[in-house]
Amino acid sequence: MARMKFLCDAERCIECNGCVTACKNENEVPWGVNRRRVVTINDGVVGAEKSISVACMHCSDAPCMAVCPVDCFYKTADGVVLHDKDLCIGCGYCFYACPFGAPQFPQAGAFGLRGKMDKCTFCAGGPEADRTDAEFKKYGRNRLAEGKLPACAEMCSTKALLGGDGDVIADIYRERVLRRGKGSEVWGWGTAYGPGKAGAQPPAGGKS
Amino acid sequence: MTTLLRACGFALALFAMTGAGPVLAQTGSSQDPDAQAQQERRVTQPGNNAPVWREVRSGNQGYTSLPGRETGVLVQSAGETWRQIRNGPVTFYGGWLVVIVALVLAAIYFALGPVKLHEKPTGRMIERFTLAERWAHWVMGISFVVLGVTGLIILFGKHVLLPIIGYTLFAWLSALAKNLHNFVAPLFAVSLLVFIIMFIKDNLPKAYDFTWFARAPGFFTGRHLPSGRFNAGEKTWFWLGVVILSLALVVSGAILLFPNFEQVRLTMQQASVVHMVSAVLVIAASLGHIYLGTIGVDGAYRAMRDGVVDEEWAKEHHEYWYNEVKGGRKTAPGGAVPAGAPHMREKP
Repeated sequence: MARMKFLCDAERCIECNGCVTACKNENEVPWGVNRRRVVTINDGVVGAEKSISVACMHCSDAPCMAVCPVDCFYKTADGVVLHDKDLCIGCGYCFYACPFGAPQFPQAGAFGLRGKMDKCTFCAGGPEADRTDAEFKKYGRNRLAEGKLPACAEMCSTKALLGGDGDVIADIYRERVLRRGKGSEVWGWGTAYGPGKAGAQPPAGGKS
Repeated sequence: MTTLLRACGFALALFAMTGAGPVLAQTGSSQDPDAQAQQERRVTQPGNNAPVWREVRSGNQGYTSLPGRETGVLVQSAGETWRQIRNGPVTFYGGWLVVIVALVLAAIYFALGPVKLHEKPTGRMIERFTLAERWAHWVMGISFVVLGVTGLIILFGKHVLLPIIGYTLFAWLSALAKNLHNFVAPLFAVSLLVFIIMFIKDNLPKAYDFTWFARAPGFFTGRHLPSGRFNAGEKTWFWLGVVILSLALVVSGAILLFPNFEQVRLTMQQASVVHMVSAVLVIAASLGHIYLGTIGVDGAYRAMRDGVVDEEWAKEHHEYWYNEVKGGRKTAPGGAVPAGAPHMREKP
């Protein structure tokens, strides 16, 4: 099975927020939640500005999964980290643990009371039967079950955001790096995918 | 010694979390040294974005058009530290601490039995706790037990209950625990403050408390240890358990319970560590308090239930207080018990 990953090419991202919009539209994301967001570093500084699109990175050793008090997270055979909203109690621990700020909570009452956590599903739905109404209402579209890749990456106008089999997108990125001759940093891969086990090597080029 | 080292470890980890926190949201002005470094790097080494990656890794805020707190942060590293503290020492040592304290108390009970009076009770009762004091105690105590049990479910349930009762039932129980925890907490906070104000005067340390400590091991074997209205052990429980740890729990809990005051993740991660560590310590200590207040000392439970103790009990357990009450230098907290009141009846 493929290991699904996201890769955002900071040399290509133009901060159009097309990925954010595509995601919200495709998955009918709850009010107040953005499963994906674009962050610009050195905004407005000529020659120093870089934008990066970020969502759940579907980590190898996912912190959300490790701290969940009801163990509602699970990992699919494709390496996608999903969660069961029927089990989620809205405690917020996954939000404390996640380095990427992926888990978010629709407000469920006064005083900041949290509802069921919502996050990027890599367009892979949830534990319900594939492509059912129940699955769509809770988690959004299950595009992987339809044989498609995540809507954000598919919609990216500059192909900065890549989502899919980690080996394939790493090959695409490697080719870009070779053409440019510089800049092999794969954003967020060090944090999300490695080193995993003690003594294992972090993914090549993973600097952040 | 190891406990001390561990405490230092926590302090260091908390310190590390502070160091990793965002300093201030960086504005995108060219005055920003990281931005300047990137501008220069682009000229000297085209394609090298190291200054940008350093900025990303720093946890500082970038710009984002999306609303929300900390949405401009790409990587927040302190969460990993929080995870290591929570899933590591807090769960492991905290869990075993509670279990071991419970086992030690059980061993004391079965080996030595409850502390009994040496002499026959006189049958004359004197008031030890007023109705208001008992209400303050029980509102705080019952809400404490609810918070303690639900908190233990949230921290340890995954390891202890989930394998036995399964996902569906455990998630239902955890949701109930979370809501009870959140809604009972304010009641605990208010009753805690009332309780502290009511009991602080009689818990101020006195010179004879130090003598008590020196002879404390004799307590369980029934040795006579004179003390004031509260003995040094009770005063320690008051100051460490009720005042310091419980106030730490209330403050850190408020930070976690109301996430709508623009507090950042780092603040909540630190508050969570303080909350969990204080909770485990105070729960372990409360087992000792509950033991001594119920089955550990004959007559102690009645003092808090009915508010009265036998004169013999007062003499053996709190001699200085007994002398004060009998000598008229100090009346019982609620004044004299009127003649004919139910508690004045002779024991059969």
